[in-house]
Amino acid sequence: MSTHLFHSVVEDVPSLRAAFITAMPDCLLFASWQAKESEIDVEDVAAYFGDLVRSNRQGLKALKTWSAEMQITIESAESLILLREINADFVFGAIFDRSAPLGMVRLHLRRMLDRVSTQLPKASLEERPRGVRILEFLDRYAPDPHAVLLRISLRTGIPVETLQAAESLQTEQIARLEEAACRLLGLKQLNL
Amino acid sequence: MDQINHLRSVLSGHDLTFLAEVPVVYHCHHYNLFHDQTIDDALGEEMSAQIRFRAARSSVGELLHKVGHALNLSTRTERADLCSALLPWMGHGRLLVQSTPQGGEATGTNLHYGFAWREKYGARIKRDFPADSFAAGFAAAACEYIEQLPPGSVEATEDRCLVLRDPDCHFQLKADSRSTPYSTIDRIAIERHVIPSFGGLEEARISAITEGLRNFVRGVAGDDRGVIAAFGVFVTMHLSNYYNGTIYEAIHHIEREQPALLPVAETLFREAGIQCVFNTFGNMLLSAEWEGLVGKPSGDPLEMLSSFCAIARGLGFGHWIVHEYDAGKRFVLRAPIDYEVPFYLEQYGKTDKPRCYVLQGAALAMTVLAHMVRWKDNPKLTPEFYLSLFRGKMPWTAEQTLCPTRGDTLCEVVVQTR
Repeated sequence: MSTHLFHSVVEDVPSLRAAFITAMPDCLLFASWQAKESEIDVEDVAAYFGDLVRSNRQGLKALKTWSAEMQITIESAESLILLREINADFVFGAIFDRSAPLGMVRLHLRRMLDRVSTQLPKASLEERPRGVRILEFLDRYAPDPHAVLLRISLRTGIPVETLQAAESLQTEQIARLEEAACRLLGLKQLNL
Repeated sequence: MDQINHLRSVLSGHDLTFLAEVPVVYHCHHYNLFHDQTIDDALGEEMSAQIRFRAARSSVGELLHKVGHALNLSTRTERADLCSALLPWMGHGRLLVQSTPQGGEATGTNLHYGFAWREKYGARIKRDFPADSFAAGFAAAACEYIEQLPPGSVEATEDRCLVLRDPDCHFQLKADSRSTPYSTIDRIAIERHVIPSFGGLEEARISAITEGLRNFVRGVAGDDRGVIAAFGVFVTMHLSNYYNGTIYEAIHHIEREQPALLPVAETLFREAGIQCVFNTFGNMLLSAEWEGLVGKPSGDPLEMLSSFCAIARGLGFGHWIVHEYDAGKRFVLRAPIDYEVPFYLEQYGKTDKPRCYVLQGAALAMTVLAHMVRWKDNPKLTPEFYLSLFRGKMPWTAEQTLCPTRGDTLCEVVVQTR
């Protein structure tokens, strides 16, 4: 889908401050738009909310109440944020002014989704190597992200240079990397 | 606490500070957490906790005995009162030790490591192992001191901790027949390694600021919570024997077991020094107290470097001097010794490489902050700003070129542009 097309879908929606599409499962920014006065780091937003959707999906599955129609609404002090799974590969996010009526927001969201969903690629995305995704996850969530590679190296015994080429990590190295990542984040497992 | 305050002293010309002849230094929670975290990364949480506990028990045990001796404390009640008062005075939180000759228990509130970890990281990540090995060591040493047990004979286990979302911290204390002599160094040991002191550029300015800072620091003590909240950080008076004992045990372990990883561990220990300078030194420069004492920082790099040296001296890091400065190109930091060197030489003897990791990291951070921060704009020293300065390839490199641990007569770190 072209940038021009995405912008044409979203830019005239009233009270909309930003919109983005996140490619799953890697939580990478696929397309975005933001209002002129907005100063959002859309790549970060796309990644964090992609993780949120994934966690939400797993939580609902654990509750045995998951359905593909799942939508998340977040009401913060300044924003009304809606996240919607378009399909297994893409999540659509829209950030509205907090003052926008919820009914109107849902209506616009549905209209945007109708137009966007037909333009997305049909083929499923190739999943990137797990080692790469683990390191990206750490970069987003670990404290002192600039030191993460060093910390992981020290914990796993894997040289920093090897970690920098994470797409080439061996299965056993990935297992060590994952275990160390869990320790750094205090998690029992990584839901990537 | 006035009595304890009077036990402070300074090794003249070397700006190393002591409490009852035990070496102490001020560090903030950013440094402390990163330091302990690096020991965890290097050794794994279990071994790390053991080494940190033993270093704490040893260094605190020596401190309690020397303070108690200096104050002529003789009764059990007096010894217990000292244990209750000392930890919060140093900014480490409060710890109620209920000891018996068999051990006992201790309950802590606002203990520095757990409290600071929760404040800094608690909203972001989970943790499933306790954080207060230093307080555990304090509790064990306090039990030994109060009950007059042999050094190193009490073990402590932290079974509740703020970082585990418990309401307080709690330690089980157990005495056994084994004992381990305290492995620390004191002022007499340090004096064996001093050389005649020397000055550098801006010496008069640095000395004057150091004096003012030292007077200020003399009035610093924990509040009702046992916390020293100053300059936007949580400050502690800490035992350099603890820092040195833990760093060098971790470094030597890596050297023995995984020598290929030594440069990684060393980089992380340097990183702790960078965090110290950015957070503590930087926020001190921007504080109202600094403005009252020195005036607002102008941002001139040489002025900034000399200010950093004064802060280091005031906090007990050693007699740091600006030996050489070539504007924007090269900075040479020197010290006759720092707080790391005497410990290494006393405990391990000479080695084949420099071992002043805090000094190395600090020299690099000082240079970056002196040249890349607009001090006149009163910047906020946020984590994001930190990353913008220190993430990725920096335009400066730092190398320790002289170190008494390998036989040189002084410490020197050269920082220059790439």
